[in-house]
Amino acid sequence: MRNFILALITLMFSMSIFAHGPTPQKVQESVTVNVSVEKAWALVKDFSAIDKWHPAVKGIKVEKRGEDTYRILTQESGDKLEEKFRSIDDDLKKIRWEITKGKVPFTDFNAYIIVSKGANANESIIQWTARFYRTYKLNPPIPDGQDDATAKAAVQGIVDNGLAGLKKTLESK
Amino acid sequence: MAILKKIIIPIIILAVITLYYFYDFNRLNITPKAYITNQGENTVSIIDLKKLIMIKSIKVGVAPLGITILKNNNLAFIGNVGTDDISVIDTKKDEVIKTIKLNTAPLSLASNAEESKVFVTDWFKNKVIVISVKELKVINTFSVGETPSGIAFNKKFNYLLVANRDENTVEIINSENYNIIKKLKVGKHPFGISTNGNFAYVANVYDDTITEINLESFSTTTVKVGDHPYNIKTYKNLGFVTNALDDSLSVIDLKEKQEFKKIRTGENPENLDINIEFNLLVVTNWGSDSVSIYDLKNLTFIKEIKTGTQSRSFGDFILQ
Repeated sequence: MRNFILALITLMFSMSIFAHGPTPQKVQESVTVNVSVEKAWALVKDFSAIDKWHPAVKGIKVEKRGEDTYRILTQESGDKLEEKFRSIDDDLKKIRWEITKGKVPFTDFNAYIIVSKGANANESIIQWTARFYRTYKLNPPIPDGQDDATAKAAVQGIVDNGLAGLKKTLESK
Repeated sequence: MAILKKIIIPIIILAVITLYYFYDFNRLNITPKAYITNQGENTVSIIDLKKLIMIKSIKVGVAPLGITILKNNNLAFIGNVGTDDISVIDTKKDEVIKTIKLNTAPLSLASNAEESKVFVTDWFKNKVIVISVKELKVINTFSVGETPSGIAFNKKFNYLLVANRDENTVEIINSENYNIIKKLKVGKHPFGISTNGNFAYVANVYDDTITEINLESFSTTTVKVGDHPYNIKTYKNLGFVTNALDDSLSVIDLKEKQEFKKIRTGENPENLDINIEFNLLVVTNWGSDSVSIYDLKNLTFIKEIKTGTQSRSFGDFILQ
């Protein structure tokens, strides 16, 4: 019996903690904002300004670690979320970042926002794309709350609230 | 004069017919097609690479990812990681003719040179599954390293090559008896793998590098590429690498062992394939639900074509 339990424990720990299911999840949403593309991009590209527009972000601390830039966000719940800046492309008006630490029901999250021209000079389109996986990393059956649907619902909330916040902030300025 | 009528003229006629036959059937009548697995909507988009348009979308299993094409058998094998099975497509009719149940997630697929077997990496159980093409059923399995991802078949040595993502290795396997000939350390998180002549190439996702493996000496060389390289394909002395988080393609000079050009792709490019006959390079863009098509020789952008959602096509996806 003891050997069996030992074998079971060994088996559990030998499974890689970095593995995840083979299907990345995607949330891609966009919003039309009644400001110029330059104005929209100026806000979106500022990695340290997310607290000015995302309603779920209550506090922000920006940190340099070597070459890399991180932002530590305080959420409504008080939980912290750490994000790493990846890249910015001024030509395409695209910013990329990823989540590096935090108590969230999804994993391996990376995202980008692209700002493009709308139908006229005073209109722009902001598109947010997120790629992530569920938290359960092993072979099915998948426990409740660690599945694809849970992960997707959480990210959908972040993206929807974020885009609504961007629209509100940009149009009220 | 009699000789001319009896021998030379028939020879000329025969030659013309033969020429016409080969010209017609090998050049004009063949339409290369790209088969794109759309993991977000459980379909395969079929793209006509002559007209550069999407011609059909077919339902397959849930969350299709991997693919391999058996040109001589007119078949495409699609790995569905959501339903743990393989959809077999008849590429003449472009219809699913069979579903092979696996009960585990098929990650990537490759066939041997004579197209008698298809090898499938089993992501959860660390095995390779062997499928008989004649019977369309599983005939064998054998163990490999942790989280086997990309798989490729080398025709010159009859080797199977498997990238084991979570142990940072590539295994070189005898494709007849499944003995492991060599296990080599590569970069971090090896995913896509391809092979050409004496070499195998693997994309190391977390290292932003690719590793070139010499299949004779088993020596390795590392080349720096862009952010999160996902897969690599080669043509002559050029290597093409999809940089998933950089929305670009690295072009590598394989003699100099260095990147010499970066080409912009769609969003989150994952996989790629080459059509030599029509001189095309096709890249799947997971983020923009499309494929980007480039001129293989000039490395110029030709067209972006919309596919289904979350287009991936991990493997060889062009029917030449």
